[in-house]
Amino acid sequence: MKKTLLFLTLLFASPTVFAQDFPFGQVSTEEIEMKKYDKDTSAHAVVLNEYGTSRIILASDNYTKVVFEYHIKIKIFDQSQFSKGTLEIPVYNGDNDAYEEVEDIQGTTYYKDENGLQQKAELDSKQVFRTKKSKHWTILKFAMPALRNGCVIEYKYRLSSPYKENFHSWEFQSDIPKKYSEYQVHIPAFWSYNASLKGHLKLTRNVADLESTCFTYGTAKCDCSHMVYGVSDIPAFVAEDNMTSPKNFLSAINFELVDYISFVNGSKIKYAKEWRDIDYQLKQEPEFGGQLKRKDLMKDRISAAITGKTDDLSKAQAIYAFLQKWYKWNNFIGIYSTDGIKKAFESHSGSVPDINLSLVAALNSAGINTEAVLLSTRENGFINTLYPALGDFNYVIAKTNIGDKSYLLDASDPYLAFGMLPLSCLNDKGRAFSLDKPSYWIDLGTTQQRESITYTYDLTLQDNGKLKGTLTRYFGGYSGYERRKAIKKFNTPDEYVENFGEKLPKFKILKSSIINIDSLDKPLGESYEVEINMFDNTNHNRLAFDPFILNKITTNPFKLAERGYPVDWGMPSDERYILTVHLPEKYAIENPPQEVSFFMPNKGGKFFTSFDGNSNSFTFSYLTSFNKSVYGPEEYPYLKELYNKIILAEKNEMVFKKKS
Amino acid sequence: MSRILILLYPLLFCGAAMGQNNYDASLISKDLLPHASAIVRNDDVSVDVKDLDNVIYHEKKAITVLNKNGDELAHMAIFYDKNIVVRYIKGLAYNEYGKIITRFNEHDFQDESAGDNSSLFQDERVKHYIPSITQYPYTIEYEYEVRNKQTLNLDSWIPIPATSLAVEKSSYTFMCKPDFNIRYKEINIPGKVVTAATKDGLKTYTWQIAQIKAFRDEPYSPNWRQYLSRVIIAPERFSYYGIPGSFTNWEQLGRWEYDNLLKNRTSLPDQTVRYIKNLTADISDPKLKAKKTYEYAQQKTHYISIQVGIGGYRPFLASDVDQHGYGDCKALVNYTQALLKVAGIDSYYCVVYGNTDEKLSMLDDFASMQGNHAILCIPFKNDTTWLECTNQQMPFGFLGDFTDDRTVLACTPEGGKLLHTTKYSTEQNLEKRKADFILNEAGELTGNMETVFKGTNYDERNTVIEEAPVERIKHIKKYYPINNLEIEKLEFKQDKSRQPVTTESIRLSAHEYSAVDDGKIYFSLNSVDRYTHPPKMVRNRQMPVYINRGYTEEDEINYTLPKGYHLISEPLSVTINKPFGSYSGIMIPDGNKLIYKRKFQIKDGTYAKETYQELVDFYQSVVDADNYNVTLVKN
Repeated sequence: MKKTLLFLTLLFASPTVFAQDFPFGQVSTEEIEMKKYDKDTSAHAVVLNEYGTSRIILASDNYTKVVFEYHIKIKIFDQSQFSKGTLEIPVYNGDNDAYEEVEDIQGTTYYKDENGLQQKAELDSKQVFRTKKSKHWTILKFAMPALRNGCVIEYKYRLSSPYKENFHSWEFQSDIPKKYSEYQVHIPAFWSYNASLKGHLKLTRNVADLESTCFTYGTAKCDCSHMVYGVSDIPAFVAEDNMTSPKNFLSAINFELVDYISFVNGSKIKYAKEWRDIDYQLKQEPEFGGQLKRKDLMKDRISAAITGKTDDLSKAQAIYAFLQKWYKWNNFIGIYSTDGIKKAFESHSGSVPDINLSLVAALNSAGINTEAVLLSTRENGFINTLYPALGDFNYVIAKTNIGDKSYLLDASDPYLAFGMLPLSCLNDKGRAFSLDKPSYWIDLGTTQQRESITYTYDLTLQDNGKLKGTLTRYFGGYSGYERRKAIKKFNTPDEYVENFGEKLPKFKILKSSIINIDSLDKPLGESYEVEINMFDNTNHNRLAFDPFILNKITTNPFKLAERGYPVDWGMPSDERYILTVHLPEKYAIENPPQEVSFFMPNKGGKFFTSFDGNSNSFTFSYLTSFNKSVYGPEEYPYLKELYNKIILAEKNEMVFKKKS
Repeated sequence: MSRILILLYPLLFCGAAMGQNNYDASLISKDLLPHASAIVRNDDVSVDVKDLDNVIYHEKKAITVLNKNGDELAHMAIFYDKNIVVRYIKGLAYNEYGKIITRFNEHDFQDESAGDNSSLFQDERVKHYIPSITQYPYTIEYEYEVRNKQTLNLDSWIPIPATSLAVEKSSYTFMCKPDFNIRYKEINIPGKVVTAATKDGLKTYTWQIAQIKAFRDEPYSPNWRQYLSRVIIAPERFSYYGIPGSFTNWEQLGRWEYDNLLKNRTSLPDQTVRYIKNLTADISDPKLKAKKTYEYAQQKTHYISIQVGIGGYRPFLASDVDQHGYGDCKALVNYTQALLKVAGIDSYYCVVYGNTDEKLSMLDDFASMQGNHAILCIPFKNDTTWLECTNQQMPFGFLGDFTDDRTVLACTPEGGKLLHTTKYSTEQNLEKRKADFILNEAGELTGNMETVFKGTNYDERNTVIEEAPVERIKHIKKYYPINNLEIEKLEFKQDKSRQPVTTESIRLSAHEYSAVDDGKIYFSLNSVDRYTHPPKMVRNRQMPVYINRGYTEEDEINYTLPKGYHLISEPLSVTINKPFGSYSGIMIPDGNKLIYKRKFQIKDGTYAKETYQELVDFYQSVVDADNYNVTLVKN
């Protein structure tokens, strides 16, 4: 849930008295004596107060800067949250004179000593460590002194940054509860931002005020808008398994620069506002539109790959496969080409934007209409579709349009089939851009093929108690991609098969074949001729047999009584299993497996087994399918029950009885 | 052993011209290909000790990468710090046929902090680079030289530092002046050292190997230190950060460490001294004094990694720890030692290899800087007591599985001493469970279960115990494979004595625990403590079988069955005895009761490689017995 708060059209309330930052260096007896947090007695620590301000100022060096001040006081009940006493502040150093700076770090720990006397220990500024992590990033780190159970820590610092487009956001929620958290911003009218609040928490304090002539640059003067966002009694955020980025659900407020007044000529410069502005900006951007225009560059380079191909689809597939093999991804993602596609192409190495922008250019050069799609990966959180902004996009793919169909492509991974996206990209919506049309939203998940696995086992019980026959497995859609990656971890398919056999001590692999390893568009197939050491002999009167053999799930992955957030698997999936067993003359089936079926409401998913047998042979099969990518918390009990049914079905044991 | 080891490869070096060898991939012997992702074609390392504070390392290495998995093996990473200066790096890449495709130099390398994010500070840095080549096979040949300003740590030679890597040829030459004496130890080196003298009168020691196959990751392998080929070298005289020293044995090395790194770092503020004196004044038993003091240190301090000071060897002053309340392992050991001294108790600062998966000891017969962690030893008469100082929860005198049963170096004013830490035996490391379960006709399971954890199993539940009650229940459910498990009550008790015990009590229920169908009830007999997969088999195993830790599991479940049903499955009765362990699982029907008893024991030790298949078969039998299903039928 999101809502937009627009600054520009605010009707300012009559002058209000604003609460200022809470005083530094004071702790109450109550805070020191606090034994637990009443509103969440399970908390190991609680934020007593958190306060931040951001303001744009004219610094002494005549540059305008965003100054962010942060102040927090935390009660730590026990040592499991001592980590809250270690702080890390990443600081960006730009290429030129632009760099961020942290100043005035102060910290105090209040505690009761062995004699029950209240003491305090100050953070020693010599104990603030600075590590140059990489070319652009320096990390400041410090640990609060004298932590012990029941202590209160308090620290503050100031971070100034020349990057007004990265106006500091504010996270109201964290993994420990907060009594109160407040953020105040002072923004001169020369700049305007969109603010968006996300998460389910409601502001308990929200005030707007006007500060007159608060900002001067030479002769230019303006007023500032002063906004206060406060939330009290914030619960701790508890992450759950199979959810997307916690960022999607944490309550926070973000700012996106809309426009600003140039101090050179007084004109208003749009940073971003309408999509058409962003489209124009991207088109003009040398590292984005500039690269998409380089069709001619790619034309010669791909001509060999498409010789002899007549229709657009096979051309597109050939170009995609060619670039997948050509490039080695350098582990960087983003939306702008790093060194340009020419250099990337020549060096065989590039970031995701290098590779996929060259894919877009190459497909267009072959006359196949293709757009670039910007998206936000799952780890990065959902994209904000409320107002136009580039800030949250962190990945770019290609969308190629052939006839009335379109395909989403990512050439940075050599094992992705044509039209398949990696799981990390399946995150709600993306924005499609081209050089000649306005941009628009697309759904990312709709063209993804479902995961689909089929197991077909055909086995014959021998007189010596061994089962002999073939195991065949087909991995289609995304599961084919995952299986190929697993196979490629081995030097050869033979080593993969060897490892598969080694994990199954009761199995002897007599022969194996793996098909379609490199035909990415087809299901990957594995077939094994095996001999399974199932029974020591066939002299027993009763043989207990588990028809699931290799396909057992031993525990239910869903253990919570209820769930607060959706289960997000990214795509639907199917698993089919067909087992055929032939018995020797002397045995008959005494106890066939129970037939089980379970259907989730609204065709959300199903599990059922079936059995068909005569005296000497039988076929047992099951189907598990999940038809949705995302299941809401209200569907959670059904998911859990579906797995419960699978496990119950597995408990049933078949019995083969010797004919008398 | 993981591939990451390649990054730890020592800083090395040598000196032939580049680009004159034939790196055609087809020249690699077929024998070297199985299980190899990359092949070292040639690696020449030379170490030239020019002076006590000037060592030149030179390495020239060519490596052929056969497939994508080998890229990481060709990852060039050169670590450096204040003591090490990188003089140059240059290299070439060749295609499959040995033709040059690209050149690179130091500018192509990325320079980053090598510290892990969990450290507050670490001053080590790394320059690293992987060329992007998409056609396999390809060959990287590179050469670099670094200058090291110390001679205490002379780099070892580990010619095959990773799995999936085969070696055509590799050599190491150590060069020094006639008056510079070294000791060396050859471990798993097929050949012998060749010693000689150069024209300039320098002594040289050379080792080489050739045609070594890639080894695989084999489960239950000993630590790589036991089986990899390596040569370790120690100086007789050295200089370290300007501090001179000399040693030929542990006694001398320990004395040097005490005198130069540890001495005079234990003074404390008066207030703390007074407090400790008061705290222990009325206690006469020195062990109780020590316990009280240790517990004071635990509640006052906590662990934070900070790697500064002399190469990360010298602890912070005790007075700094007193003020900040935190420190790394060295600082906290030194601080605890200082407090104990105030209480009148002598203790030893000990250097140890901390490692949970493998017990690693100081090499008895070869003194050099070894270890990665510090602990404290109190030499009470007939009751040597060991203290881990980086953990606030650890009972006094309990070490746990990170530092138990291994040889450590105690650095004392009287010199270094090798001591051995506490061993917890197979019988002591116990997880013992007793449960009373009632199964009803609808398939529901209800009952109580109590589990006792002892020895190194004592802290098994600590991560759960640290959680808040609601979270504890979520976590504990992951330990028990009981379908539809609901925890109605969960309690933990910890007895923090010298032989500590954790007791877990659970009241539970599980609907549809058993499957009910057509007058039959199916349920798993062992739902609380079971193995689901045996270790994987290894054909042509190379390594002996190493079992790091012995332990015992004992389970007893008393089931009350629904009335009017009888058992039709053959009762379980399995007993296995092997040199490395034993197992028994039995089921005793008794009216509407059913008693299940299980005992599993694995014994630590090193066993012949032929034993491995027996171990796999053992576990397979355990898996089968643990997953036994009971069928009941209505009368």
